[in-house]
Amino acid sequence: MEQTEYDYLKKIAPEPGNLIKGLQAIQAREGYVSDDDIRAAATYFSLAEVEVEGVLSFYAQFKRNPPGKYRICVCDGTACHIKGSALILDWVSTELGIKAGETDAKKLFSLETVACLGCCSLAPVMSINGKVFGNLDRKATVKILKEHRKK
Amino acid sequence: MMVSDKIKKIKVGTASCGIAAGADEVLELLRQYVGDITIEEVGCVGHCYAEPLVDVETVDGTVISFQHVPSTVAGVENVLGLGDRGRFTIPAGRRNKELHKVIGLAGKICPTSFEQYVENGGYDGLKKALSMIPQAVIDEVRKSGLRGRGGGGFPTGTKWGFMAAKQAEQKVLICNADEGDPGAFMDRSLMESVPHQLLEGMLIGAYATGATKLFIYCRAEYPLAIKHLSIAIDQIYEKRLNVIAGLELEIVIKEGAGAFVCGEETALIHSLEGKRGTPRFRPPFPTDSGWQDYPTMINNVETLANIPLIVREGGEMFASVGTEGSKGTKLFALAGDLRCPGLVEVPMGITLAEIVFDIGGANPAEVKAVQTGGPSGGCIPVDKFDTPVDYDSLKSLGAIMGSGGMIVIGKQRCMVETARYFLDFTHRESCGKCTFCRVGTKRMFETLERITAGEGVPEDLDFLEEMGNKVRSGSLCGLGQTAPNPVLVTLRYFRSEYESHVREKQCGALVCNALTDVLLDQEKCIKCKLCIKNCPVNAVSEDFVIDNTLCVRCDTCIEICPKKTIYRVKKGEGYYRGQN
Amino acid sequence: MDKINFILDGKAVSAQPGQTILDVAKNSDISIPTLCHNQKISRTTSCFVCVVKDVKSGRFLPSCSACPVPGQEIDSSSDEVKNMRRTALELLLSEHTGDCEAPCTIACPAHARVEEYVRAGRKGDFLECLKIVKERIPLPMSIGRVCPRFCEKDCRKNVTGEPVAINDFKRLAADLYYETYLEELPPLIDKQVAIVGAGPAGLATAYFLRRNGIASVVYDQMPQPGGMLRYGIPEYRLPKAILDKELAHFNKIGIKFECSRKLGADLSLKELKQKFGAVAVTIGCWQPGSMRCEGEELAVQGIEWLEKIALNNWQGENPGRVIVVGGGNTAMDCLRTAIRLGSPDVNCFYRRTEAEMPAEGIEIQEAHEEGVKFNLLTAPVGLRRENGHIVMTCQKMELGEPDASGRRRPNPVPGSEYDVEADLVIAAIGQKTRATADLRATKWGDIDVDQETYHLEDNVFAAGDCVTGAATVVEGVAGGRKIALGIVDFLTGSKHQQEKVINVSRGHWSSLVPDDLVYLRNDVSHESRVKMDFIPLAERCSTFSEVTHTLSEEFMRKEGERCLECSCTAKADCKLKSISEEYGASPEAIVGEKVKSGYDNRHPTIIRDRMKCIKCGICVKICKEVINRNLLSQKQRGFVTSVGTAFGEPLPDSCRECGACIEECPVGALDWKIK
Repeated sequence: MEQTEYDYLKKIAPEPGNLIKGLQAIQAREGYVSDDDIRAAATYFSLAEVEVEGVLSFYAQFKRNPPGKYRICVCDGTACHIKGSALILDWVSTELGIKAGETDAKKLFSLETVACLGCCSLAPVMSINGKVFGNLDRKATVKILKEHRKK
Repeated sequence: MMVSDKIKKIKVGTASCGIAAGADEVLELLRQYVGDITIEEVGCVGHCYAEPLVDVETVDGTVISFQHVPSTVAGVENVLGLGDRGRFTIPAGRRNKELHKVIGLAGKICPTSFEQYVENGGYDGLKKALSMIPQAVIDEVRKSGLRGRGGGGFPTGTKWGFMAAKQAEQKVLICNADEGDPGAFMDRSLMESVPHQLLEGMLIGAYATGATKLFIYCRAEYPLAIKHLSIAIDQIYEKRLNVIAGLELEIVIKEGAGAFVCGEETALIHSLEGKRGTPRFRPPFPTDSGWQDYPTMINNVETLANIPLIVREGGEMFASVGTEGSKGTKLFALAGDLRCPGLVEVPMGITLAEIVFDIGGANPAEVKAVQTGGPSGGCIPVDKFDTPVDYDSLKSLGAIMGSGGMIVIGKQRCMVETARYFLDFTHRESCGKCTFCRVGTKRMFETLERITAGEGVPEDLDFLEEMGNKVRSGSLCGLGQTAPNPVLVTLRYFRSEYESHVREKQCGALVCNALTDVLLDQEKCIKCKLCIKNCPVNAVSEDFVIDNTLCVRCDTCIEICPKKTIYRVKKGEGYYRGQN
Repeated sequence: MDKINFILDGKAVSAQPGQTILDVAKNSDISIPTLCHNQKISRTTSCFVCVVKDVKSGRFLPSCSACPVPGQEIDSSSDEVKNMRRTALELLLSEHTGDCEAPCTIACPAHARVEEYVRAGRKGDFLECLKIVKERIPLPMSIGRVCPRFCEKDCRKNVTGEPVAINDFKRLAADLYYETYLEELPPLIDKQVAIVGAGPAGLATAYFLRRNGIASVVYDQMPQPGGMLRYGIPEYRLPKAILDKELAHFNKIGIKFECSRKLGADLSLKELKQKFGAVAVTIGCWQPGSMRCEGEELAVQGIEWLEKIALNNWQGENPGRVIVVGGGNTAMDCLRTAIRLGSPDVNCFYRRTEAEMPAEGIEIQEAHEEGVKFNLLTAPVGLRRENGHIVMTCQKMELGEPDASGRRRPNPVPGSEYDVEADLVIAAIGQKTRATADLRATKWGDIDVDQETYHLEDNVFAAGDCVTGAATVVEGVAGGRKIALGIVDFLTGSKHQQEKVINVSRGHWSSLVPDDLVYLRNDVSHESRVKMDFIPLAERCSTFSEVTHTLSEEFMRKEGERCLECSCTAKADCKLKSISEEYGASPEAIVGEKVKSGYDNRHPTIIRDRMKCIKCGICVKICKEVINRNLLSQKQRGFVTSVGTAFGEPLPDSCRECGACIEECPVGALDWKIK
């Protein structure tokens, strides 16, 4: 392990209880958690590698593969679901040619569904890199994607 | 640009839902044109349906609100010129039925302004509490009749009493802000809009129970809430408000990492300890042995946010609102098929009809049911809407109060599909430890998948009922114990929908893809070819016939057709290749 | 602190503070099943097989974790509690994948422990191989030659190629040791059994009675014992010298034969019933079926023709041009016997196609090789004599919709009639039971026994072809064993253990792809199947010499290396299996997706078959809390939760010295490579 590479972890106390925080810090920098990151976290928090992997794989937040430049989260919360989030997902999927859980070949977009973004009153919604877009219909969805593609 | 000289101050709602509706852009434009007029960012008043909302305070003290403010120069000009367009007034239904207590300051003050909070009575509760002995504070909470707002409904005062009685070198207070119920956003709103109110509640709780380590376990999907809380905590440290009875309290925000089961006390504690969020058998209860084996008390955001009011105004005042068994007010996140979705605060005991129709503006003729309690709750049919909203009445219907998510379900929705949706959620969110939950919910989900795919058999309904009851009684934690509710309740109130799926292989609501066809009405068609161009699977022929053999029911054509000539019909009523 | 008094299954009991309900139950001799509970580690509370009911609150509690409270009333034995436990087990079974027993063993009608005898052969211990075979099959020399090999049809090796040559292990083991191996025989009780019919079923009845300490007398209508083995199956498939060797052993263990005694003629059922403690009727199927066409009396019956040649020591005149009507094994026997008698022109007429023929594929193939001509989709409509020959009028058929047997029904093609000429026409279209009037019969003429016990009435039992209709030798043997055990119970008043076993299966090989195969042992051979060792074709066509030689030890040991040895390594001590059997939980009760998480056999001595894992987490905790190594963890969550190592790497080599997790795994998810 390159000691310098993970210097930013030093802001977090190296106790096992802070593992999730540490992993969040890693993911915030890299967008995902690699095998090497797991090894580094295990060393830093004095845990077995398999424990780190066990914790990490339990939580939906952690990604094991690099995401695209734009991380699209289609909300499938209850309100969004009854307002047709399955169709939104369909449309995004068709437009980008990737399924939920995938990243496109150019590493521009990655697509996933999330349980709830807490913007139920604007259902159906999706977020791109954390920015929420609400009251989606097909036209709006496609337009948002096209704008991001152009950027 | 014409800026009215009557304007004293402008407030823009920039909670998550406001931002999602474009409040940031509006704010930016306003800043360009207002000159030296003060602009404040405020939280959420709950009128999500009207976002972005801009309040203009005039020199004569009146407030003019604008709704749906477009992020255009013209839009901003209308606001700054106090134009007539987009004026917002609170609908009468809401004004009459709501009772703003816990969100009284939300949307009125700047969330990150310590001063504004204090100006509006903030930290008076803490001050008063510190002047009392801890037991007196607990008694006040007990007197208020406050019950846990996270869903369980356990009397808060009693819990505090347990905790206070524990002797330990360290005690821990956790605020459960892992609002995992998809379709609920009460806690998010509170944390984003009035973070200090929550913190004040926590400090009072710490004083009353002797806790010295304070955690806020907040879901990572709420970045703005975390930001506001962090700022507020810094302010508290700065003002030394965290020094209580000579002890310096530590307040730590921990971000959840996306696991619904972590709403469960013991799972949450495991997660805080950096472990997999699996619940464990109770007893021992967390108040005996919790975080790192210390006595630990867990309260929900809304519960804690009520505390400053209770202490400030007295428990009796709080208890004067509500019903015999459910005191005070309750926040609900209203969403779904209604005109005015948003956050509402109502006195306990109000009826579902009042919330859904009067406040939410839903059309009684178009509503089928309301789902309370999220994936753990149940769909209450419209004919039971005269039920008062309190812990016990909802339970008697097979639903639960839950944390306050309330999704209105219109007549155009399929209840079987809705039940399938909830089981899809819960079976994936199961921590995977206990047999009944891990495998039982999966088998129930598979059965519902089969039914909505038109492959169900009548025996499936018996299986769902039997397995549902067993999962309910054979699960360790609340997730498994309540996961079958959406199925059991819909089987109870909407059995005919299940029957038609398994017997006639029809979905009356035309929602289940496998049980519907798509038809283009040739007579009304204007031959614009938009459907042909946009169909992802080329299912629309050159002569405007939709081949249901190819169609994947993505609704693209239905959405895109300018004349609405394409719609879903019953299975068998659409065209299939090889037919005449 | 004070003891906690409460009620467990109606009994007043007391617990020490901190004791769980399960602890108390153990001390009170109340058995509560559990899978995830383990004394060595902290509680997990995951399997919920240990649930009990708190009578007052109506709540179910996991007894492994719940401590009693004073005055509590706990129910651990009601149907409701058992039902909950059964459901928990059935849910676990619904996600559990593996093979409790190898498919070959399941497929064997006699339930011989196939995998075990093949393994003994692979290891070169053919005596052990024979011992295992003879636990279920007393006629290994015969069956080793004539069995249609049900086991091989279900062999997993079919996924990647040809099945293991299982039956050849039996044949070799028997050839090597049958005459010298003497099984342990218990002393005889004072009751005797009469067995009517010395065919496979009767012989098996006698054998298994003797192994249980009961002597018998076997009666037969023919001059020598053996039944169809002697008078139906031709010499070239089963040399009678071999059969004689096999029967000599029966004499050696004290079984008496009385031949040329026919039931109803010179043997009375009534008398036998009085004279013997029990009577076993195993008279077989000796009544030929009818061709149902005009002039059928001009044809001879296949089994009667074969019997005549058998009585003549497999000699006879050249029958001239021969037509055999039928497509079963008897038809093949007649056709190939006719070839050996020198017939220049041997024809098979069958009304469907070769695919529908009931005869074994290998028999059909060997008939082809020996020169039999097949006239398919052709049925006889009439026989007549003309100029000293027989003329058979035939009609072409075409296949229609499937009939009750699942085979496509042949329908006549109008106007397609034509004549063929022959010197001998043999009808080989099935056999029926020829029961005497005092034996109750079904509408098909078979003896009407209780389907469970094969008990007929009073002290009379029946098994074999006369109960099932014409079947195979191994099925006859299986039936014989069944009534032997029934008779033992009947005569001794005991109740031999009901074999209520469950079997989880990875699925029939036809539903699997090569990647689905699980290699539970190292170095499974991917060579192709050992070839049969035929005598020269010319010799096959002109003599009754046995068509194949027994394969050598060397070949068979190598063949054994091909065996996957599918059955679970933990089948003897799997808790999920034993508790499921106790609670009557069925693997088929709840059906759904199973996670294909694969297996890991990279470690030299440890196999991790993750699809068997029940996610109890015992291994994780044993490694962490007891051994302090921390090599395992649960991964993911929900239904796809699995137990794994860091980055999916194999367990370290050092695990071979520990194995603590293996010892505690309640199923076969973690095990030594014991095969």
